[in-house]
Amino acid sequence: MTLRDFVHRFLLIEILQGLQLTLKMFFTKPVTVQYPEQRRHVFDGFRGRHAFVRDAVTGKEKCIGCMKCANICPSQCISIGKEKIENKLVVTKYDIEALRCIYCGYCVEVCPVCALVLTEDYEYSATQKEEIYFTKEKLLSNWDEFASRLPSDTYFNKFWRPDGVDSSKWTKAKREQGPVPTRPVAKETKPLEQTESAVKETT
Amino acid sequence: MGTGNFCWPFNPPESSFWMIVIIVAKVAVVIAVAMLHVAYCTWFERKIIGRMQVRIGPNRTGWQGLLQPIADGVKLFFKEDIIPLAGTGSTRFRFVFKVAPLLMLFATLSSLAVIPVFEAFYIANINVALLYLLGLSAIATYGIIFAGWASDSKYAFLGSLRSAAQLISYEVAMGLSLIGVMILSGSFNFIEIVKAQQHQWYGMYVVPQFLGYFVFMVSAFAETNRTPFDLPEAESELVAGYFVEYSGMRFALFYLGEYVAMIVMSCIAVLCFFGGWELPPIVYKVIPGLQDIPSWAKNMLEAVVFFCKVYLHLFLYYWIRATLPRYRYDQLMGLGWKVLIPLAIVNIVITSVVKFFS
Repeated sequence: MTLRDFVHRFLLIEILQGLQLTLKMFFTKPVTVQYPEQRRHVFDGFRGRHAFVRDAVTGKEKCIGCMKCANICPSQCISIGKEKIENKLVVTKYDIEALRCIYCGYCVEVCPVCALVLTEDYEYSATQKEEIYFTKEKLLSNWDEFASRLPSDTYFNKFWRPDGVDSSKWTKAKREQGPVPTRPVAKETKPLEQTESAVKETT
Repeated sequence: MGTGNFCWPFNPPESSFWMIVIIVAKVAVVIAVAMLHVAYCTWFERKIIGRMQVRIGPNRTGWQGLLQPIADGVKLFFKEDIIPLAGTGSTRFRFVFKVAPLLMLFATLSSLAVIPVFEAFYIANINVALLYLLGLSAIATYGIIFAGWASDSKYAFLGSLRSAAQLISYEVAMGLSLIGVMILSGSFNFIEIVKAQQHQWYGMYVVPQFLGYFVFMVSAFAETNRTPFDLPEAESELVAGYFVEYSGMRFALFYLGEYVAMIVMSCIAVLCFFGGWELPPIVYKVIPGLQDIPSWAKNMLEAVVFFCKVYLHLFLYYWIRATLPRYRYDQLMGLGWKVLIPLAIVNIVITSVVKFFS
């Protein structure tokens, strides 16, 4: 032990430095956010409650039942049921067991039509398991709840266009996906391009 | 019994009956004030540690969480009092288990009897007050040892063994650190110790006895099982230490005992090293009118000065708790025997030599 070390230990320099730090912190403003009254700003890319984007024109979900989300899901909590009704593939069942979900967001990233979204809602605790088992209807109502609270008329989720992925392999719909309207669009004033795509799909 | 108007603030007829009535009333007042202090010590501690960790601390129960100690107390009071049966189902063990927290609380509460809050207010003015306090703080250890033994749990038992070893080691250092004060004042009596401190202009023994004060405070932290010496109740190792098996009101009694011990230690530090209820004489020189105030105002001033000094020491406890991590066991013992006791002895030698030649 050198003399300097001895003096440091004998005069408790490090302890005094520690005490100085805690005293300095004592006079700083607490960083506490008093949650129910104050709310933290939700950061960009927050992954919260699942929702299906309600198409502003058709008023239904956009899911085409391609199974990509169910296949990529690490916890395999998505189950999809499809039926052929009148020569058309219809998604009859789309369930997300959110209690098993790990909120990785892969399902949102992989969706070719940007139908799924992890919203910024985080206050959906429940006392019953069934309330956190999201069916197709529940997912759509989740979107309505989320969209009604948004201040802006359009919403774009950054996971619809994940960074660092070769976008040439995406479908055209995904490549060209812009912000979706959050308010129901009346039939008369529907945007031209969406009308065209809707017509194309039906024919 | 010492001098002064013993029955402050009353002037009763000279009869032993009234003396006893007034002593009982004083005891009630002291215990009530002490309990209130304990309750709000917990609030004060949580607030201070919260702020030091850049949090707010309790602020939901009442304004700024001021009702929190009351809520805690009511909760603890109505909780089930669980007494372990395993292995030690005999009534003998259960008796010791039940008695342990009471023993600790009684020992620490009895210490309050000799602490003068201001010159005219004390319950007992005995000439061996310092020795009495050291003895009672040793008795409080029995409460801890009994609790650990009767709990029939390895965690509780380890905690109590650690506590016993720690208290034996640090009691020596604490006793030795106070000898410097005794040499300078020539008395064990608190009132005389405080009065002796008024001979210097600064009116505090902490200036000539800084070594003694340091050793005393470190030992006081160890005696009261506070961080960084809280090995008997090391949460991360022993769950809660010696009171693991206690619940409800008996647990609260341990808690009370610990906080009363903390307050008592702060009081001893204030009385022995910080001039007790007296302001430094220099203050009286600077403000000459201060000595001519009526006696009731003087008493109030003395009480306020005393409590402010005690609160500063309590703040020191919390400040250290917010800063330092726990010592390792061998470091704790090494600090006690290899650093503090030699320091205290050096202090005694220096004090004696200075006293002899001056």
